[in-house]
Amino acid sequence: MSRARLSALAAGLTALVLLVALLAPLGAGAQKRQRRIVALTPFAANTLAKLGVTPIAVGQTLGGRERLSPKVRQVPVLKLSHPIGPNLEQLTALRPTLVLSSKTWAKGNAAMEALGIRVETRDPRSIPGALADTYKIGEAVGSKHAARELLKRMRARIAAAESGVRRHPKVMLILGVGHAPFTFLPNSWGGSLIRAAGGELVTGGATSRSGFQRISDEVVVAANPDVIIAVPHADPEDIPALTRYLADDPAWSGTRAAKRGHIYVSVDNSLLQAGTDIARTITRIRESYLHN
Amino acid sequence: MIAALVVALLVATGASLALGAVKVPIGEVLDIVLGKGGSGPNHQIVAALRLPRTVEALAVGAALGVAGAILQGALANPLASPDVIGVTGGAGFGAILVLIAFPARIALVPVAALAFGLLAAALVFTFAWSGRNRGSTGKIVLAGIAMLSLFTAATTGLLASFPERAPSALFFIAGGLTNAGWQGLETTWPYLAAGGLLAAFLVRPLDRLALGDDVAASLGSRPPLIRLGAGVSAALLAAAAAAIAGLLGFLGLVVPHVVRMAGGTASQAFVIPASALGGAALLAGADTLARTVRAPIELPVGPFMVLLGVPVFLWLLRRAV
Repeated sequence: MSRARLSALAAGLTALVLLVALLAPLGAGAQKRQRRIVALTPFAANTLAKLGVTPIAVGQTLGGRERLSPKVRQVPVLKLSHPIGPNLEQLTALRPTLVLSSKTWAKGNAAMEALGIRVETRDPRSIPGALADTYKIGEAVGSKHAARELLKRMRARIAAAESGVRRHPKVMLILGVGHAPFTFLPNSWGGSLIRAAGGELVTGGATSRSGFQRISDEVVVAANPDVIIAVPHADPEDIPALTRYLADDPAWSGTRAAKRGHIYVSVDNSLLQAGTDIARTITRIRESYLHN
Repeated sequence: MIAALVVALLVATGASLALGAVKVPIGEVLDIVLGKGGSGPNHQIVAALRLPRTVEALAVGAALGVAGAILQGALANPLASPDVIGVTGGAGFGAILVLIAFPARIALVPVAALAFGLLAAALVFTFAWSGRNRGSTGKIVLAGIAMLSLFTAATTGLLASFPERAPSALFFIAGGLTNAGWQGLETTWPYLAAGGLLAAFLVRPLDRLALGDDVAASLGSRPPLIRLGAGVSAALLAAAAAAIAGLLGFLGLVVPHVVRMAGGTASQAFVIPASALGGAALLAGADTLARTVRAPIELPVGPFMVLLGVPVFLWLLRRAV
């Protein structure tokens, strides 16, 4: 083979390698573009945003879009309703390849799977569950490395938020309003956060797989909580009226929480439904409610 | 029979005061109830929680029992209950409207339940007393069913529009007593008193009505007016009951039948007071079970009323047939 031919072959090979190197990321990008992910929970939507993945639609969240990362606030929203979750016709029209759903929509999840859609339930009820689900979401969308890095940052921030607890006040965390509220149990998202913030959850020893249970007011009086936090389905402007209403509740007016003015109302749902801002929520609980 | 009901009432009342999620010695309970002493959490538990709740259970049970008795008598319909005159549907809508759409105004739930319960009944009477066959049993029942359907649909619409707020309304729909102190009775006692008083005046007219409209009219009674009075009384009692304890339809339907079968007479002079006693005993007993069976968890009272009431009802029904 002549020198000229060898040079031409080398130049051709180099050009081919360069071409492959240039086209490879575009191909990967195309692959990423083909991932059509629907995130029905704010936790899943925000985790995707943190991993640099944009879902094609997000589920309507409790408390409005404020809980969603700015990166996904412009993404189309699917309305959710009991017991299915999203409208299956609307969902099918989006041609999703993966739906990150919740156990709340168990009936809908089965229907989605019957339609050939891959469904993963990612709506954790505890901080360890949230960390595990963060990695699983990363794994599902092919961003394991980014998920590992995200987990490292989350763990460090949570540890910082949990550190330096001076007191462990008795906390009753209730869902809803009225004289028949349900108490958050340790196996609920809110219960997990209160414990992480150093609170001792008042439950009267009640258990429930749902994480909520209506407990006797007699137990509340006997336990005498230091802090009562209500999580009603209401708007921010309702907070003062609801706080007054709870403080005047005949069953609770004699508790330390009522006497010391430590009855609070939280309407942003960060205690009700899992989010990715775990450390910030723990810090807010400690600063605003537990004062510990 | 009345003596047996009084005993049942006393037992249920005693159990309701003595039992709960927190163990309070009987002697201390008695001292607190009689105002002789007690302090601290136990005093608060008995005086601020159990006592008002027991009194509410007795009042609501009696009100629903009487409401069912006079409606069944006035409409000559064994299936009549406060549902039939639209009260339950209206009260449910009023309460859920406040709970879901105006949560900050939650203190208005009893008022809204009362107001919408009475509004529904007023609409039923307006339609039933217009056009031909004014005040006939058929028109009242049909107007009541229409109004119940209307308000039930409106309630369902509200729940569907605010699915995330629906859990707050579930307990009201399921029906049950709460520890709201004396608030419920403070709002509703005038309506309970007026409804009860009117029911007492209706005892003799309802007995005449039981003989048939023609015979009652020949005896000087005015059947449509008696039905209107019975409807107003039942509406006042049932709306006030719903304002306190949510939707407890079963009691008003079954208790009058039980006392009628057990007493062997359909005379309203017996059925109305016996239904009051039976209803009060049943609700107080069922509520005690609901809050102690799985203590510290509180369960809805409805299933316990059914658990206590249905076996007795079926046993009596078998004997009667």
